[in-house]
Amino acid sequence: MSGVSLVGVTKMYGAVKALDHVSVDVRDGELLALLGPSGCGKTTLLRCVAGLERPDRGSVEIGEADITVTPTRERPIGMVFQNYALFPNLTVRQNIAFPLEVRHRPRTEIDARVYELLDLVHLTEQGDRYPKQISGGQAQRCALGRALAPNPEVLLLDEPLSALDALVRGRLRDEIRRVQQLVGITAIYVTHDQSEAMAIADRVAVMNAGRVEQIAAPADLYDMPSTQFSAKFVGSRNAVELAVRNGQVGIPGSFQIDAPAGSNGHALAFFRPEDVKVSVGDDGPGMAARVELKIFLGATTRLHLVGEADGEPIALFGDLPSRRARQIGEGEMVRVDVDPDHVQAFPV
Amino acid sequence: MAVEAGSSAVTKSRAAASVRSSDRKSVGRVGRAVFFGFALFYFCVPMAAVLIYSFATRWTANVLPDGYTLDWWRATLADPRIQSAFFTSISLASLTAILDIAVVVPAAYWSRVRNARIRPVVEVAAAVPFALPYVVIAFGLMQFSGVVAPQFQGTFPLLVAGHSAIAFPFVYWAVDGAMAAAGIERLTETAEACGASPYQALMRVVLPNISAGLVTGGLLSFAASFGEFAMAQIIGRSLDTVPLWSAEMIRSYTDTAGSYNRLAVVTLLTFAVLFVLSALVVYWNRGQTVRLLPGAGASDQGGRQ
Repeated sequence: MSGVSLVGVTKMYGAVKALDHVSVDVRDGELLALLGPSGCGKTTLLRCVAGLERPDRGSVEIGEADITVTPTRERPIGMVFQNYALFPNLTVRQNIAFPLEVRHRPRTEIDARVYELLDLVHLTEQGDRYPKQISGGQAQRCALGRALAPNPEVLLLDEPLSALDALVRGRLRDEIRRVQQLVGITAIYVTHDQSEAMAIADRVAVMNAGRVEQIAAPADLYDMPSTQFSAKFVGSRNAVELAVRNGQVGIPGSFQIDAPAGSNGHALAFFRPEDVKVSVGDDGPGMAARVELKIFLGATTRLHLVGEADGEPIALFGDLPSRRARQIGEGEMVRVDVDPDHVQAFPV
Repeated sequence: MAVEAGSSAVTKSRAAASVRSSDRKSVGRVGRAVFFGFALFYFCVPMAAVLIYSFATRWTANVLPDGYTLDWWRATLADPRIQSAFFTSISLASLTAILDIAVVVPAAYWSRVRNARIRPVVEVAAAVPFALPYVVIAFGLMQFSGVVAPQFQGTFPLLVAGHSAIAFPFVYWAVDGAMAAAGIERLTETAEACGASPYQALMRVVLPNISAGLVTGGLLSFAASFGEFAMAQIIGRSLDTVPLWSAEMIRSYTDTAGSYNRLAVVTLLTFAVLFVLSALVVYWNRGQTVRLLPGAGASDQGGRQ
């Protein structure tokens, strides 16, 4: 059993707190994504697990073992870096064999293991090429094979797809997930791309300013972000500032919910564009709004809408099936309704 | 002259790289041919003159010598003083290059991977020998050694130390550039994450990926030491290096017949030593460059995911 547990990890760079009492438990065999904007501390946290950074306070455990001060090379980890960090002087095969060779494993064992890994990451034909002779996607698959070679307990991935183009990225993402599940290894995956995090992870930890905002399964995170930051960062959402009246916030004629605790005069309401119901004509439920802009996105069309509440203009956007959106033209008046069950409000 | 030969090897390999990259364009091919022809002429004519002089019996009134002989070559190669001068110079230059590599590589590596704060110090130190005339450094060293270790004055070890001090920037800049190009910090972290000890990381990852810089830097410091005259004159007076012997030959022209011819032979031998070394470096680096160049040998890489 080898989960990872980080307890109260704090890391300072001068006066800047890169990590501020971060506590995370990664379960055995789980893939946890660390998601956040650049500078949120996600990479620093990963490097603390790898031993490339030493936390100022707090502890790092893999399985039952406290490895907070263990040197990197003695940790049971495999790591995949952002920019194909293959050894340019070694072939694909030699790169994968490297972690076994530095551990002085017998030659026959190394050969058998390398063969197995080349097959696992589908690089059997490229085994004798040098890193400069293979594509970016192949290079990252080789890096994945190398990371897994010594049978580590934890796999660490530091934005492994960010240097690749979009098409390769999607394919390699699924490939990494397939291999991770096949091997059954505990994994930590750093990314700033929320759709990537949600597609690959069992759970996502949203990080902001050196802290973990929320840890949840992708579907839960998408449906019910627990903090304002998660709501803003995950998925695309309407964020509408509304006045609090009698302990409630809402758009007249559309929805009305209880104001969040601690709100003072105003609250920020979040709801997703697919939960905005648009109906043509002046009657029907909801707030009257004008279609300012129509953006065709393929299956759906996004409408930029401007309505009015308490004499203040309210701008929001809604997604509806493109077939339905055909009937609505720019400049037309529509009714906008929002299901109150899917609205979350946070104090301003 | 020695330094020129070394750096021209570097220039040549750079030129070769740029020629490769612009192969597609036929415009400028003629210009390049003309320039190459001029460079060839510029380098070859003086060498040809020296070569002919080394075989000449007498060369005074005409375009070509009055007659040819192998005497100068025979006499020069058999001269024990010249043999010993070459032995001294080659030992001196080799030790200088080895000492510089041994000192500079760990320092450059340390400043990149472990402690970036010492970088400014190292960089300033690596610029000093370019800024001060060698004569000044030599007198400084003589004064200093006179106080600290007078028994070393005028000896071979002191000259090795002096040459190492003036030649180390060649090694530093070549090695530091190679380390930057290889992304040595990242490679070191990767090696650590793969479970390599610092020694394994150095031997199996760092050195192979900066070998081009090591060889270039080593050759440049060898050449700088081999051709160095001012410092050898001041702190190695009791020694006989090739440049010291050459200077003596020039001064003694009127006394000894054929001293210029023998000088020509020695010049060619010096050139041969440095040329062979340069050729080895270019040949050796070519394998490296081809293997490490982006897209090398990857004509069929696209589309295979």
